[in-house]
Amino acid sequence: MRIVIWIKENLLGSKIDILMTLISAYFIYFIASLFLNFVFTTDWTLIQVNRKILLVGLFPEEQLWRIWTVFSIFSILISATIGYLYKLKLRNSIFYILILIIPFLIFTTMNLLVNVLIILFFSIISYSVFYYLKEKKLKITSRILLLSWLIFLPTLFFILILFGGPKVTLWGGFFVNLILAVIAILAGFPLGVFLALGRASSYQVIKLVSIIFIETFRGAPLIAWLFFAWFVLPNFLPNLFSLNDINLVIRAMIVLSLFSSAYIAEVIRGGLQSIPKGQKEAATALGLNSIQELLFIVLPQALRVVIPAIVSTFIAIFKDTSLVFILGITDLLRIGRLIPEQQQEFYGKSIETLLVVALLFWVVSIVLSQVSRSIEERLNVSK
Amino acid sequence: MNKKVAIEAKEVTKLFGTFEALKGITADIYEGEVVVVLGPSGSGKSTFIRTINGLEEHNSGTIKVNGTELNNNVKNIEKIRSEVGMVFQQFNLFPHLSVLRNITLAPQKVKKLPKSEAEDLAMSLLERVGIPEQAKKFPSQLSGGQQQRVAIARALAMQPKIMLFDEPTSALDPEMIKEVLDVMTELARSGMTMICVTHEMGFAKEVADRFLFFDEGLIVESGTPEHFFENPQEDRTKLFLSQIL
Ligand SMILES: Nc1ncnc2c1ncn2[C@@H]1O[C@H](COP(=O)(O)OP(=O)(O)OP(=O)(O)O)[C@@H](O)[C@H]1O
Ligand SMILES: [Mg+2]
Repeated sequence: MRIVIWIKENLLGSKIDILMTLISAYFIYFIASLFLNFVFTTDWTLIQVNRKILLVGLFPEEQLWRIWTVFSIFSILISATIGYLYKLKLRNSIFYILILIIPFLIFTTMNLLVNVLIILFFSIISYSVFYYLKEKKLKITSRILLLSWLIFLPTLFFILILFGGPKVTLWGGFFVNLILAVIAILAGFPLGVFLALGRASSYQVIKLVSIIFIETFRGAPLIAWLFFAWFVLPNFLPNLFSLNDINLVIRAMIVLSLFSSAYIAEVIRGGLQSIPKGQKEAATALGLNSIQELLFIVLPQALRVVIPAIVSTFIAIFKDTSLVFILGITDLLRIGRLIPEQQQEFYGKSIETLLVVALLFWVVSIVLSQVSRSIEERLNVSK
Repeated sequence: MNKKVAIEAKEVTKLFGTFEALKGITADIYEGEVVVVLGPSGSGKSTFIRTINGLEEHNSGTIKVNGTELNNNVKNIEKIRSEVGMVFQQFNLFPHLSVLRNITLAPQKVKKLPKSEAEDLAMSLLERVGIPEQAKKFPSQLSGGQQQRVAIARALAMQPKIMLFDEPTSALDPEMIKEVLDVMTELARSGMTMICVTHEMGFAKEVADRFLFFDEGLIVESGTPEHFFENPQEDRTKLFLSQIL
């Protein structure tokens, strides 16, 4: 009866405790009943009808396999990486998987669910394979992983665009938010590492260039940069590399990547500074050169220190992708606003769509932050 | 004794800004010699031994290690670092690597030793410092004394000809000092050339061939332990010895 004891100790300990418990209980009841009442009395057909639009915008139905392919590769790659780096606790993983799949239940068609389960199945296999390879201490494993991530970006564009893929202007919905975030993170992270190292470098030119880059991008809000990419860029630059004709989605990707790299660079710089001088001295005294020192001693420690901060940055970037509506991109949030404005039968039903939009953003963010927390716990053990 | 010079320092000076930490140090250290460096805080002991492997760049004078001059030539610096091992007061183990990996990293990356050979070497060194059973642990899981012994093994893994110790026991709890000094004593007996900054007078008396007494960036007095304990010449040496003995 641990629960009873827990309740006695924590909720009913003193008179004040009892009072607080009662007040909070009423408050929770009030909010929850409002919410549940709304959820269960509302007609959710608008979500059912607009399922596809919310998820992928105007992406043509017969082309959806492209998104599924990219999505599968991504989750298999992520699972492999996690398997290589960490031993997940079963309880935690079930929690992550459930929380990721629950929103899909809203959108359930049998088809969708079957696809998700198949992807899940392959992801688990790839997790186990890479976990096993790590135990075997095969050196090549890390190279395979790194290489796969390197070719993932080009592959992604390849699958989505080439051989008669739909125009980038048709990309929309939650898919756009996810893909913008993934690209901003995959491109922004390495760039951020280089910028941080550049800023800490003793070569004055490299240092100056890094500082100017970082401070320029951090100096203005993302919205301003998006406007810049839309209005200013075409009038400002000569039509170099036909930059003016580049699609707005691609421009959003570039802006988001550069913007996030500046923030990631600052986070990593903090990590670099937290490494005691003695670490470098020990490495130097052992005869490691400055690149080896960086690769084997400084960076691994610095990155560990900043994992939570980096994940927070990732989450922020992910949520910031909803700002791309400024470029006229119909991302999830934009669609959530458009449905109650434009579809007569659902006129004014903003709360319903916005709740679903919020749920989707929330689910991804919460899983990211939980993952970062368990990584943090794991690292504290080996500290 | 007819011995080869391992370290030759001539008129070495070091400036921190305008502050002169070393004001002209001249000393020859011979092969196989164990030299203990003494002196009050701030006298330049650490600075001196850190100039020997180039952790601090000296401003003038010359330092030669086994005949190689320490200058801006990267090849020379690399050669000297490969011949000089260093043990720090704060251990400076790499916290993200296991004990074994702490030791094998430099042999593998710098000397390009194959992994299995590096691991055999590491295990034999852990054996030598008395903690082979700790190989798989991380530094934070060891006591201070064990950590410092790993640090010694790590330095030895590069098979240096000279070892520098900068107050290796000052950060340790009293009950752990002996285990580290024992390792150092064994090392001294094995014929290693050593320069130790230490206040452990028992150890110094037992193993040192020579003392160097530093004050305000200069070597004020040098000589055998007997000379120091029985017949110190300089007032500053007498004062210092009376304080620590
Ligand atoms: N990086 C540095 N920048 C500026 N001054 C320094 C630096 N390192 C040492 N000093 C100064 O140089 C002098 C000699 O320092 P050093 O560390 O060599 O002394 P020490 O004899 O080892 O003393 P201790 O017994 O306290 O370790 C001190 O006055 C110290 O303040
Ligand atoms: Mg010192």
